Amino acid sequence: MSSTTKASRIGEELWKTRVDKVNAELVTLTYGTIVAQLCQDYDGNYQEVNKQLEKMGYNIGMRLIEDFLAKSNVGRCANFRETADMISKVGFRIFLNIAPTVTNWTSDNNQFSLVFDENPLADFVELPDDGRAQDELWFSNILCGVLRGALEMVQMQIEAHFVSDVLRGDDTTEMRVSLVRYIEDEMPPEEE
Amino acid sequence: MTVFSLIIINKAGGLIYQREFQPGLRKLSTNDYLVLAGTFHGVHAITRTITPKLPLLTPTATASTPTSASSNLASPSGTSTPIPPTTTTTTTTTTSVAATTYTYPIPGVPATGLESLETDKFRLTCFQTLTGTKFLLFTDPHMANIEVVMKKIYEFYADFVMKNPFYQLEMPVRCEAFDRNMNGWLRGRT
Amino acid sequence: MSYYFTILSPTDVPLFNIAFGTSKSGGDGIARFRFPDTAQYMNQFIIHSSLDMVEEAQWMNGNMYLKHIDTYPPASAYISAFLTPSGARFLLLHQPPHAAGPNANAGGSGGGGGGGIGGGSSILGGSFAAGSSAARASASSIAANPTSPQTEEAVRQFMAEVYENYVKTVMNPFYRQGMEIRSAVFRSRVTAAGRKWL
Repeated sequence: MSSTTKASRIGEELWKTRVDKVNAELVTLTYGTIVAQLCQDYDGNYQEVNKQLEKMGYNIGMRLIEDFLAKSNVGRCANFRETADMISKVGFRIFLNIAPTVTNWTSDNNQFSLVFDENPLADFVELPDDGRAQDELWFSNILCGVLRGALEMVQMQIEAHFVSDVLRGDDTTEMRVSLVRYIEDEMPPEEE
Repeated sequence: MTVFSLIIINKAGGLIYQREFQPGLRKLSTNDYLVLAGTFHGVHAITRTITPKLPLLTPTATASTPTSASSNLASPSGTSTPIPPTTTTTTTTTTSVAATTYTYPIPGVPATGLESLETDKFRLTCFQTLTGTKFLLFTDPHMANIEVVMKKIYEFYADFVMKNPFYQLEMPVRCEAFDRNMNGWLRGRT
Repeated sequence: MSYYFTILSPTDVPLFNIAFGTSKSGGDGIARFRFPDTAQYMNQFIIHSSLDMVEEAQWMNGNMYLKHIDTYPPASAYISAFLTPSGARFLLLHQPPHAAGPNANAGGSGGGGGGGIGGGSSILGGSFAAGSSAARASASSIAANPTSPQTEEAVRQFMAEVYENYVKTVMNPFYRQGMEIRSAVFRSRVTAAGRKWL
């Protein structure tokens, strides 16, 4: 697992030396307020809230990738497994100071899971007890969008979604990431 | 230590930024800058396609599982990246890639194209980010450590352009903070 | 010892309430108030009637914990209060178990105040059934001396822990200020704090 340990080292180093820190509660409350406001604006239509969060994340990811590359100074990953390590050990480390576990690879190396032991976005959160949010809302869905936007900018089309969330009472928080294809042309993507 | 000017070209070949830091080069009309950007983009793309592909080495004995991915971050084609990763091995290291176990991103497309162009009076250095944006820096031909300048400019770009929520991606850069910080930093170096 | 805990918003809207009994000294954690089950509103009545005292006391010093601030002798109910900086009131009503007459006085671990309280209990003791074994078991604990320093300290610890969890609960983005706290997590944590300190 040389690429894993190397990615961990890079992530740690960057986190210590290059990252401006902000108060975690500020981030948590800001994000929580956005989600709660969306739930209110869409009148409890959680599918739509999930979609909007994903879209917001997508627009963030397309911008954040440049910061990631400028800071981390890493080159192109040789394969999707290395990409997964970079996402977990460097990306999540420098932006959220967590390193979700990469696991559950499919045999074709095109799909993996990120298992979040901690999730700064979801501190203090308890989903609304309206009987539906527990089944429909993916509170941290913005992260799926961030990954999709960021990887699209480096020519990878992926699909990401949550499959479980401790907020819903599941044992783990798990995101499934699948590589759809490598984008070969360099046409600019449409910004949503 | 002279940095004449900077041009940024988006991934579609459009000119999105042009700025002069120190006088020295003759000025072009706006239209000519656009042509320059478009032309360079085309030439760059062609130089990418004519880059010879190095044959992939057979998997080494240690690379028996697909998880033991190569630690080499350099491009598969073997050309050096404009800013060599400081923490990793460079292209001189043999790529011990288990080629049979996975495909490369964008199989067959080399990572870099034209990197520098030099005349008696100036040097043009091109840095293409992994997202496809190109930074063209016009400097004195004898200037050293261009990559340091380039890296810093890329960071400014990430900070003040990409993180500006009102900047629309792929559109011309009109971010006053970007100009100000870059000017300040470059002035501090001379 | 039986407890009734309530949180009131700065505008006196009840946000949360819970009744529980002591778990110390062999208590089973179930509230046994001296009112018949049909008169549980008495808890709310007593606790809300102490609000005047709270409002008087809250400007007297800068403390968040106001200690024991009110007593309702007919029911032998003692009220302790805690203020959050935002003006929410945590009120805890505690009611010693049916004291077995002079036994409560004989507990002796309370000072003069404890003795006085014991006297109050014994008055009531005449009008209620005799104390159970559980009551005797807790005679030497904080339960028997609602105004002793030990009790004040235990309540303070309880309030501090509830406050910590209250802050986390109101940080929940789906909680709107002034809304009733319906979080099951919060309720279980208050119960846990009660079990731990009271």
